Amino acid sequence: MVLKNMNDLKRLVEDGPRKKLVLAAAQDQHSLGAIIKAWKDNIIEPILVGDKEGIENICKSNNYDITGVRIVHEPDPEKSVETAVRMVSSKQADILMKGKIGSSTLLKCVLNKEWGLRTGNLLSHFALFEVETYPKVIAVTDVAMNIAPTLQDKIAIVNNSVACLNRLGYKMPKVAVLGAVEMVNENMQATLDAALLSKMNQRDQIKNCIIDGPLAFDNAVSLESSQLKGIRSEVAGDTDLLLMPDIEVGNVLYKSLVFFAKAKVASIILGAMVPIVLTSRSDSEQAKFDSILLAAAACK
Amino acid sequence: MTLEQMVVKVISLKKKHRIAVAWAQDSNTIGALNKAVKKGFIEPILIGKSAEIRKTCTAAGIDYKIFTILESENETSASSEAVRLAKTGEADIVMKGLVGTDKFLKAVMDKENGLLLSNAVLSYVCAMEIPAYHKLLFITDPAVIPFPDLDQKVAMARYAIEMAQKFGIKTPKIALIGASEKMSRHFENSVDYSIMCKMADRNQIKSCIMDGPLDIFLACDKKSIEIKGVETPVNGDADILLFPSLESSNPFYKGLMLFADGQLAGLIRGTEKPVIVMSRSESEISKYFCIALSCLMA
Repeated sequence: MVLKNMNDLKRLVEDGPRKKLVLAAAQDQHSLGAIIKAWKDNIIEPILVGDKEGIENICKSNNYDITGVRIVHEPDPEKSVETAVRMVSSKQADILMKGKIGSSTLLKCVLNKEWGLRTGNLLSHFALFEVETYPKVIAVTDVAMNIAPTLQDKIAIVNNSVACLNRLGYKMPKVAVLGAVEMVNENMQATLDAALLSKMNQRDQIKNCIIDGPLAFDNAVSLESSQLKGIRSEVAGDTDLLLMPDIEVGNVLYKSLVFFAKAKVASIILGAMVPIVLTSRSDSEQAKFDSILLAAAACK
Repeated sequence: MTLEQMVVKVISLKKKHRIAVAWAQDSNTIGALNKAVKKGFIEPILIGKSAEIRKTCTAAGIDYKIFTILESENETSASSEAVRLAKTGEADIVMKGLVGTDKFLKAVMDKENGLLLSNAVLSYVCAMEIPAYHKLLFITDPAVIPFPDLDQKVAMARYAIEMAQKFGIKTPKIALIGASEKMSRHFENSVDYSIMCKMADRNQIKSCIMDGPLDIFLACDKKSIEIKGVETPVNGDADILLFPSLESSNPFYKGLMLFADGQLAGLIRGTEKPVIVMSRSESEISKYFCIALSCLMA
């Protein structure tokens, strides 16, 4: 099964049981807008932790009706994050979302050894794009979290992402390890790592997916281009997940898809006990809504 | 194909290869050369003390008149002369006689007058016939490179593929040998092997079916494949074994010769013309097979 677009993603979650989403530092207009929409669409049940008066003011001035939504009053933003994280680690919530607070503060709480959301896995960023020029959604990792992943990090990032795609219904997602070329080049570490990841996948050391790489971007997403180059690959042209060599490449790809290709994007953090919605303030309300859909679908 | 069948193939080529033998006064070498002359596939040029060469021939009951004999004073001058003949086209193949390997290779590898191809890796490939295996097994590198790096391993693979193809195997199966089939970044060879497999996928190493790391069971025994459940295109049917080091490959082939009735023919690769280097203690039949192999590869 593959998802063609964000509507398919929505269909995955709209009939299921509602997931409890806790918003930390909830006095945030964009987050609230997206959350209320997801709540009205029966996808989540929100819990708002933050400054009660601030939350109510935002809702009033934007005509958001939050009658019946649970609000936990905690005016101090940092404390509100701790409260939200504790709710998740004590199984009172299924999804954590960042409101009006810096990402680093939120992540510090997530990684707290006593009451945080650590699992022993590396945290990684997972983004799902709907692009008009590709016949299905395409996942990209890691464009925002891990700066220069080592081979071990890349294994963890692939494992996080594959587990997520498995939950979205992909039995054997096709993973392209991105390079500048499809050939192995000793001077390009990304191509060497790609070869190692491919072999580990063949030997079942990385499971539940089909990995090939290095593949240049065009080979990864265009069958025509991979055939022109004579590449024999199960993945080329039919990629479900693109693994980035580092954050620079990933971030530029992510932003060029959004700005130049007008892609729709949903993104979450994986590797913690639950999916974390950690969109940036500059993301659109639509992107936040789609990220909530993705988080709900990625829940165990 | 067996080594005997290889000889038949060489005979069928109907070409007399000119072999320059450095410091030739060695009875096993002369015996092997005599056999090959009689089969009609070589014309030997023996370089060394001509009186001693003639004496060795007579003692073995061989007519020295079938050989061209060139006088040379010592091991070094004989080696240089053999290499010079190949370099100028007066010989097709160079062979080491009673000279020490280091002196002989020094002449072969001489930058100005030697036979080393520019930028080529000097390596060794041999074809082994083992009664317990259903076909010839090519082994690299049991003689020259102690600890091959990635580039050297790639060169070794290409030489072995080329040799297997001369035996009529179009797309040889090549197993990259390790202690386990798993990829571990702590084992440098398994890292190199994974990279090489991808190079083969991408046609950077051509005309082969490559997999590794594989242990020798997975490389050469179908039953082990079934038991372990490892999916590998080599599938227990390897034509070529590429070893991670000389210290693993050398005992492997010697063990097979000693305990499993193995028979071998081997050759240096990376030279303009075939160069036969064998241990002085090697048997006449081994030398004979090596001569035939060098003719096949010439």
